[in-house]
Amino acid sequence: MRANDAICGIILILFAATMIALTAHFPDFPGQKYGPALFPRVLSTGIIICAVLLIWKHYRTASPGGRWVTFAPWTREPWRLGAFFLMLALLFLYIFISETVGFIPIALLFLLALFLWLNVRPVTAVITAVVATIVIHEFFSSLLRVPLPRGWLDSIL
Amino acid sequence: MDAIITALGLIFQIKVLWVICASAAFGMFVGAMPGLTATMATALLVPVTFFMDPVPALGAIVTATAMAIFAGDIPAAMLRIPGTPASAAYTDESYAMSKKGLLDLNLGVNLVFSVLGGLVGVALLIVFAPVLAEAAIQFSSFEYFWLALLGLTCAIFMTAEDPLKGITSLLFGLAINTVGIDPAAGYPRFTFGSVELLQGISFIPAMIGMFALSELLRGVVAVDQQGAVLAQKIGNIFVGVWDVFKKYWKNFIRGSAIGVVIGALPGAGADIAAWISFAISKRFSKEPEKFGTGHIEGIVDATSANNSALGGAWIPALVFGIPGDSITAIVIGVLYMKGMNPGPTVFLQNPQFIYAVFIIFVLANLLMLPFGWIAIKSGKQILRVPRNILIPVILIFCVVGSYSMTNSVFGIWIMLFMGVIGWLMEEHGFPIAPAILGLVLGEMLEQNFMTSMIKADGDPLFFFERPIAAVLGIMTVLIWGTMIWRGIRGQKATMAPTEA
Repeated sequence: MRANDAICGIILILFAATMIALTAHFPDFPGQKYGPALFPRVLSTGIIICAVLLIWKHYRTASPGGRWVTFAPWTREPWRLGAFFLMLALLFLYIFISETVGFIPIALLFLLALFLWLNVRPVTAVITAVVATIVIHEFFSSLLRVPLPRGWLDSIL
Repeated sequence: MDAIITALGLIFQIKVLWVICASAAFGMFVGAMPGLTATMATALLVPVTFFMDPVPALGAIVTATAMAIFAGDIPAAMLRIPGTPASAAYTDESYAMSKKGLLDLNLGVNLVFSVLGGLVGVALLIVFAPVLAEAAIQFSSFEYFWLALLGLTCAIFMTAEDPLKGITSLLFGLAINTVGIDPAAGYPRFTFGSVELLQGISFIPAMIGMFALSELLRGVVAVDQQGAVLAQKIGNIFVGVWDVFKKYWKNFIRGSAIGVVIGALPGAGADIAAWISFAISKRFSKEPEKFGTGHIEGIVDATSANNSALGGAWIPALVFGIPGDSITAIVIGVLYMKGMNPGPTVFLQNPQFIYAVFIIFVLANLLMLPFGWIAIKSGKQILRVPRNILIPVILIFCVVGSYSMTNSVFGIWIMLFMGVIGWLMEEHGFPIAPAILGLVLGEMLEQNFMTSMIKADGDPLFFFERPIAAVLGIMTVLIWGTMIWRGIRGQKATMAPTEA
C-alpha cells in the first residue's frame, strides 16, 4: 500500500498539530519563558514545514489523474495478503492472551498457525514448532531468567 | 598498560570466548541469509546481551556484525542476491564472476579483503578514538549540542535519496523520543497517564520493531520467492588471492580508508561505504570498461570498505556517543543500559572496556578467516534453509526479545507499533535510519540544548561563543545552507520544463 505524498503530508500535519496541542498545558521552567514544551514544539513545527513542502512538491510534479493510494501486486493475492495480516493478528493475540495462557501454548499456536499458512508440511510444522518453542523457552527462561508467562502450565513448570 | 592487561583478562575467559564464537556463527548465518541484515542481527542479539556483562555483550555485537557484513557476499556471488545491503554495491559484479567460473576466487578475495579491511578499520579506531577523546574531554553542553546536531545533519546529507523525507524521518524519530519524562525539568510528556510510558519509548523494542518486524512483514509476502543456487563446486578459495593483492593493493588501501571515513560519519555505514568506494574504483580504474563483466578490481575496493566502515563507525560512538551507523546506534543503547555512558570520560574511567572493544575487534576479524571459510563451504546448505520456517521462528524470537526488555507485554506493543510504522515508512520512501538516529540522539540533543539555553539565558549568539562550538556551529549552518540551496536549485530544475 502506498499513499501519495500529499496524503503523507496531511497525516504528518495532523500528527504534529496534535503534538503542539498536547504541549499547551506544559509548565515553563521557573523564571524562564520556555520549558518542556519548547523542544516538541520546535520539532512539530519542523514536521509541519516538511509536510507542507511534501504536499507542494507532490502537486508540482504529480501527473494529473494519479491515484491517491496504490497497492503493490502482492496485495491482490489472498494468500500473501493473508500471511501479512496473520502475522499482525498473531502478535495482537499474543499480547492479549499470553499472560493468561502462558508462553508455551501460545508460542506453539503462533508457530503452527504461521507454518501451516506458509505451506510447511504438517509433520515438519509440528516438529519444528515444538522444538523451537522448547528451545526459545529454555534459552530465555532458564538461561537468561526472563519471567516468561507460565499461564495454564503454572503447576507443571 | 595495566588497563590492557585487565582488558585481556576480561576477554580471554572460556565464557567470553564461547560467546564470541557463538556470535560469529550467528552473524555468519544471518549475514548469509538474504533479507536478514547485520543491523537486524544486532537488534536480535540485544535482548540476549542485556543479561551479560559489558565485555561479552560488546564482544557478541562486534563479532556478529563483522561476520554478517562479510557473509552477505556469499549469496551475492551464488544467488545474485546480497545477503546484507552492504554487499549490494558489487552483487552484479560478483555474480558475473561466478558465471565466468571464478566463484572460488571471488569468495576468496571477498573473505581475505574483508578481514584485511576490517583490520584497517580497527587500526584507525585504535589510533583516532583516544586522541579525539582527549580533545572531547573539554567539551561543554554547547559543543555537544552542535555535535549532536551536526551528526543528525550528516545523517540526512549522506543517506537520503530524498532529503526532505530524510529530514521528516529524523524529526519523527526525535518527536517519538520526547515521549516520557523530559530530561531537563522532569515533566512527563505525552504519557496519557500511562506509567509505562513515563520511561519513554523503550529503545530496544522500538529497534527490533523497525529493523526486524518491518523486514519480516516485507519478507513474508515474498516467502516462496527463493533464488536458485549456482550449481558450482567450491574448491580452494585461497588460490590466486595473493596475485590479486599484489595487483590491487592500492585499491585495498583506498577502499579501507574510504570505508573508515564514511563509517565514522553519522548515519552512513557499511552499505554507503561500499557503494562509494565501488564508484570511486571504477572512476579511477585503468580498465573501467571491464567493470560489470565480472572484474575483481571494484570488489577489492568495496569489500574492504564495508568491513573497515564497521570499525570507523565506532569512533564517534565511543568518543562522543554519536553513532556512526545504525549498528552503533544500537550499541550506544546497550552501553547506556550497562551504565557505561559513551563519551570521553569512559576513556578515563573505564579504559579497560575501550581496550577490550579494540581487542575484540581484532579477534573478530581474525576469526572471520576460519568462520568465513566454513560459511563459504556450507554456503549452499545455509541458503537452502527454507524461509517459511525461518520467518515465524525469528518473529517469535522478536516477541520474546521485546518482552524481556520490559518484562511485560508493553515491550511487544512498542515493537508492533514501531514495526508497522517502520514498514509504512519504507513503503512510502521515508528512510528508517534517520528516525533511529533521532531516537538515539534525541535526549542528548535536547538535554544539551536546554542546558545551553539556560546557561545562555536564551541568547542564541551564546551558542557560538566558545571556539570549538563556533566552528561546529558554523559547519552545521553551512551544511544546512548547502542543502537548502541544493534543494531550491533542484526544485527550479524540476520546475523549468513545466514553465517552458
